[in-house]
Amino acid sequence: MQAERVQFANGPPHPGRVVAELSGGDAGRRPVRWRPLKTIALYAVTLWAVVTLVFLLPRLLPGDPLRQLDDPGSGSFVYDEAARDRVAAYYGLDRPLAAQYGSYLADLSRGEFGWSISQNTPVSSLVRSRLPWTLLLTGSALALSSALSFFAGVTAAWHRGRWADRTLIVVLAASRAIPEYAIASALLIMFAVTFPLFPQAGAQTPFASYPSPLAAVGDVLLHLVLPLAALTLGLAANKFLIVRNTVIATLGEDYMVLARAKGLPRRLLKYRHSGRNAMLPFITALGVQAGFAVGGSLFVETIFNYPGMGTLVERAVTGRDYPLLQGCFILLAFVVLLANLAVELAYGKLDPRVVER
Amino acid sequence: MTATAALSPTTAAEPASPRRTRWGAVAGSVILGVYVALLAFGSRLAPFRATELAGRSLEAPGGRHLLGTNLLGHDIASQLILGARASLLVAVLAGAGTVVLGAVVGVLAGWFPGWPSSVLMRVTDLVLVIPKLPLLLLVGALTGGSVLGLSVVISLLFWPTAARILRSQVLSLRTRTHVKAASGFGAGTWHQLRRHILPDLALLSVAEFIPAAGRAVGLQAGLAFLGVGDPTEPSWGAMIRDAVNFRALFITSAWKWWLVPPVLALVALIVGITLVGTAAERRLSPRLARHQR
Repeated sequence: MQAERVQFANGPPHPGRVVAELSGGDAGRRPVRWRPLKTIALYAVTLWAVVTLVFLLPRLLPGDPLRQLDDPGSGSFVYDEAARDRVAAYYGLDRPLAAQYGSYLADLSRGEFGWSISQNTPVSSLVRSRLPWTLLLTGSALALSSALSFFAGVTAAWHRGRWADRTLIVVLAASRAIPEYAIASALLIMFAVTFPLFPQAGAQTPFASYPSPLAAVGDVLLHLVLPLAALTLGLAANKFLIVRNTVIATLGEDYMVLARAKGLPRRLLKYRHSGRNAMLPFITALGVQAGFAVGGSLFVETIFNYPGMGTLVERAVTGRDYPLLQGCFILLAFVVLLANLAVELAYGKLDPRVVER
Repeated sequence: MTATAALSPTTAAEPASPRRTRWGAVAGSVILGVYVALLAFGSRLAPFRATELAGRSLEAPGGRHLLGTNLLGHDIASQLILGARASLLVAVLAGAGTVVLGAVVGVLAGWFPGWPSSVLMRVTDLVLVIPKLPLLLLVGALTGGSVLGLSVVISLLFWPTAARILRSQVLSLRTRTHVKAASGFGAGTWHQLRRHILPDLALLSVAEFIPAAGRAVGLQAGLAFLGVGDPTEPSWGAMIRDAVNFRALFITSAWKWWLVPPVLALVALIVGITLVGTAAERRLSPRLARHQR
């Protein structure tokens, strides 16, 4: 789902073409410029755009966001008058737009995301307890899917056209097309209900007291297995295809012929000489996937009732709790942008063709 | 290519076996045909209305209820049939919206180099990195999440991939002889775009439309699953949501007829779209056609 398109997602790439693309087209070995300050500035602008969009959305869209909260007849009426005042103060709709924007930015810079209507707590404290779980889930899913797809991709390329390659392509293409929540429900039904190997919900056994810290970690890991598997499957396919196709493109290169003629062991040929070429497109995909991982974790967490941002967002949607929803979005966007920025900066360091100016 | 074939562990090239491809396309078309039939005749096929009290709570499949009932006694089979509407409408509307927006940006960015192009590509990059699902949830929750509204928002967020692909196609078309000849003869921008660029983009746009449609189906159901959706519009995502929110779902065996059918319906539709899309891409994408002909 949300499948990002790969340069050569389907079918064999043309080796010459891919190599030409990687080396900067007909310009040959022309160095690509790397300007870290410009990159950082661009991401700062993006973050500003996100923050401003969040500010403008409820104000531009038709309707008064507070009317329902003030109307005793509506389902989302807030009974606590103090809470209602706090929400009204958060939006500050009686003041001029520029003043509202100014105090909104000032609040954000202090780490204040407003007041959650449905839970009557500051958004920042809700988010603080949830974000680590989401980071654990998405971070480990990105790492695991990277490792798996790299080895699977190199292996498939090495055995291209044979059954291992074909099976991997079919399985991973299917897992890319199927939404995360469908994969997650299938895993839940298979491995937590039909064969109850793993817990059905949560991140820890409720009310458990552990004899040792190690047992606590084990419990967390046991709860992590199924959500992690669901998220990993969705993330692996894209990177697998990138690695496979890049490696296939390198198989005919002169340096491969030479390395083979030297009698280098297969492992070195596969991972050092061939697989290494996939690192750059791989890392680019990793940056793009940070966003998909966060999106996918919202679904997976809701299926497994995992106590991360996903279940918080779900509750915010159900309660039409806009301040909470906005806070979650700004924070998730911040995390994703940071990950992308890190990838772009790393890209400049990794590619010898990229020259710092 | 010969060097590769001689060197690689398997000498077997990867022939695009036309037979396999055709079967995938046939299967995909059959699946899509079934869903279109559900959309066309759904209201007559469904024995009950989606939120009608059709029976007792959690009746097992059989008798009057082909797929049983949910906790509130709604008929699952009817909800399933009527839910096809939301998914298919979003597929068509959001798919078309994504491609149209992408085409507008892509053609403008490809045809006008210099600052218009760089501004448009900056915006494209910006939209590309924003995490889309949280933003969709936020906007969907604010606007109410009707099928039409969601289609607009999905189109507004997912056009960059199509824009990039169509832009590079425009850039490549610009250098072709017939386009150069046309501009040499003094053809205006609009004439060149209309006569020489847009017809060439039409096929590629279809190839972009299909995956965009499949993605929109997954998104709409996902948003309904997370609670963003029109409560009066039956949808598979909302069915999954109701089922998962029922705490005793896995203690009873209700999940077999309550959770599994909407998930399967959704997966089958997405797989159908993907199969048709793969077949169409083989035929239509200039990138792949190049080394298959």
